[in-house]
Amino acid sequence: MNEPLTLEALIEQIQSGNHNVRAAARDNAGQVGAPAIAPLAEIASDPGKFEIARSANRAMQNIVYHAGRPGAADEARAVSAELIKLVGAEPPLQFRRDVMWMIWQIAGAEAVEPVAALLDNPDLRDDARMCLEGLPADEAVAALQAGLAEAPDDFKPAVAHSLRKRGVDVPDVPDLRLVPTKQTSVTPVGR
Amino acid sequence: MSDRKVKVPRRAFLKTAGAATATAFAAPYLVPSGAMAANEKLTFGHIGVGGMGGAHLRGIKSRMGRGETNIAAVCDVDERRLENASRMAGPQADVYRDYRYVIERDDIDAVVISTPDHLHALQTVHAAECGKHVYVEKPACCTVEEGKAMIEACNRAKIAVQVGSQGRSQPEAYLAHRYLANGNIGRVTRVDCWHYPSPSGGTRPDGEPPGHIDWDLWLGPLRWRPFNPGYLHGTFRWMMESGGGQIRDRGAHVMSCTMWWMGADGTGPVTVEATGEAPRRGLWDSAVNINVTYTFKDPDWVLTWNQPGNPVPPEERTGREPGGRISRPGYGALYTGTEGTFHHWGGDGGTWAERKAREWEPGPDAEDVYRSPGHMDDWFLGIRTGKKTIMNVEAGADVAILTVLGNLSFLLGRKLQWDQSKREIVGDEQARRLMDSPERYPYVI
Repeated sequence: MNEPLTLEALIEQIQSGNHNVRAAARDNAGQVGAPAIAPLAEIASDPGKFEIARSANRAMQNIVYHAGRPGAADEARAVSAELIKLVGAEPPLQFRRDVMWMIWQIAGAEAVEPVAALLDNPDLRDDARMCLEGLPADEAVAALQAGLAEAPDDFKPAVAHSLRKRGVDVPDVPDLRLVPTKQTSVTPVGR
Repeated sequence: MSDRKVKVPRRAFLKTAGAATATAFAAPYLVPSGAMAANEKLTFGHIGVGGMGGAHLRGIKSRMGRGETNIAAVCDVDERRLENASRMAGPQADVYRDYRYVIERDDIDAVVISTPDHLHALQTVHAAECGKHVYVEKPACCTVEEGKAMIEACNRAKIAVQVGSQGRSQPEAYLAHRYLANGNIGRVTRVDCWHYPSPSGGTRPDGEPPGHIDWDLWLGPLRWRPFNPGYLHGTFRWMMESGGGQIRDRGAHVMSCTMWWMGADGTGPVTVEATGEAPRRGLWDSAVNINVTYTFKDPDWVLTWNQPGNPVPPEERTGREPGGRISRPGYGALYTGTEGTFHHWGGDGGTWAERKAREWEPGPDAEDVYRSPGHMDDWFLGIRTGKKTIMNVEAGADVAILTVLGNLSFLLGRKLQWDQSKREIVGDEQARRLMDSPERYPYVI
C-alpha cells in the first residue's frame, strides 16, 4: 500500500512540470482534505502556468467530492470553511466562480452570508445566485428573497427563478426563459 | 413546474378540439393532442445544424422533396454553420441564432434538436412548453433532474419525442431483440459493454471566442467561463459538463439497445459503482478509462460498461447482411445467459448482430418484437398516430441517467444507491445535490 499523501507532497507534486506527477497528486488530493484548500487555491488562481493552475483547481474539486461522502460531516464542514474564505475580493473572478461552484456542492447555511454578499457584484451575482439556489438551507432561500428586494430590474428575473425553483411563489417578476433576444446577421441564402 | 402552461399551437388546438368531439363517442381510445393526419405535411424547425444536425437537416430536406415536410427555420449559434444550413434548407427557411425564435412560431409543428448535450434538456423542455414535437439527439440529459423535467414537460404537452439513440431502429437490432426475447441464450443475467477510451486533450489556453460564434448562447445553462477552442465543435463531449465522454456519447447507444432488448425500459439499477482514470492534462475532464457496474434487482441482472473492455473481434461478412459490413467494431456488448452468449458490435446507426441471431429462423410459436420502420419514421408515426416512440422520452432519459450515474460514481469515488421509482439517489446527500445543476439565467428549465 502506498504511503498517504502529505500536504507538503501534494503541494510540491501539483506544481510538477511532469503531468503524470500532477495527475497522481490531483487524484489523491481528497485524502489531504481541508488543509490543502488554501495552498491549492493560491496555485489555482495563478494564470501564469495554466496547466498547473488547472491541476490545482481540479485537486480542490476532488477534495470537495471526497469530503462530501456520507459519514464525513466534520470533513465537509472544514472544507466548506476553507472555501468560504476564498470568495472574497482577492482571487481572480473566474476562480471565485469556480469556488462558488464547489461551495454549493458541499456547504450548508454557513456559506449563505458570504455568498449572498456577492449578489450585488455585477460580475459574480449570477454565480452567487446559482450557488444559493443549490444550497439546501432555509437561510439560502431567505437570502434570495432579500436579494430579490434589492436586485436591479435586469437581475430580478434570475433571482425570481431561483426562488421559484425553491418553491417560493414570485408572482410579480416576469419569467424570461422563453423570450428570444439574440439576432443573427445571416440572411437566408437564395431569398 | 406545476404552474407552467403549455402553449398549444393553433393547428394542434384545432386537432385537439376535433379529437375531443370524436373521442366522446369512441372512448377509451384517446387521440393525443399533437396527433396529426397521415397526409398532413409537417413543418420543421432545426436547432443545431452542424454534425448530426446537418445530417438530420438533409434527411428532412429529402422528405420535403417528397412532399412530406416543410422546413420553416434553421438555427445555430455558429453563423458559418447557419449559413451552410440555410443553403441546404432552401430560401423558404428563416434563419435564427436564438432557438427561442423557432419554438415560439405557431406554424412549426416539430423541432429537431442537435445541439451539444448540455442544451438537449433545456431546449426539449422549452419546445414541449411551446407544444412542439421533438426529436432530440442523445444523450437526452446531463443531470438526473434534467431528465425528470424532460419527462414531465413532454408528457404534459402530449408531444411525440424521439431521442436519437437510433440503434434501436436498425435492422439487425430487430433481429438481435427477437433472438434474445425468444430465449435463445436462456435468461440473460449479464451484459458487458465495451468501448475504446475517451481522448485526452484541449491543451490550448483560454481566449476570445471567434466572431461567428455566440459564446453566451453556446454556454446556455452552463456557468460562465472563458472561451476555449477545446469546447467546440464536437469536442464538447469530452467535457463532463457538456458531454461526459464515451460512456455518455456511445453509452447512450449501446446501453439503449441493452435496455430495449432486455425489456428493461422503465426499470433502473439499485446500485451503481464506477472506477476510472481522468485525463492527466488538458481541458477535457471526462474519464479516459471508466468501468461501471450497474446491479439490477427483480429480475436480477448486471450491466457493465467497460472502457476499454474486451472487444469481440468483428466477424467476417459479405456486405449483403441487413446491416452490411461492420465498420465500427470498437464498441458493442456481450450478453451472457443461462444457456449461452450473444454479442453485437456498434449500437448506433451501425448495429451488427452476431451471425446466429441473424440466421435464427423463428418457429410458429415464436414471439415477435416491434420492428421499427426507421428511427425518424418511427417518430413520424408517433406524431401522426400518438403511438409511443421506440426511444421515447422516458426511455431516453433513463438511459442517459444510467450514464450520468456512472460518471457521478466515478467523480465521487464511491458506490451509489439508486431508487428508480423516484429516480433518486439514496443515502448520499452530496450525490443527491449533484442530481441537479444550477443553471445560468435565462437558460433555465
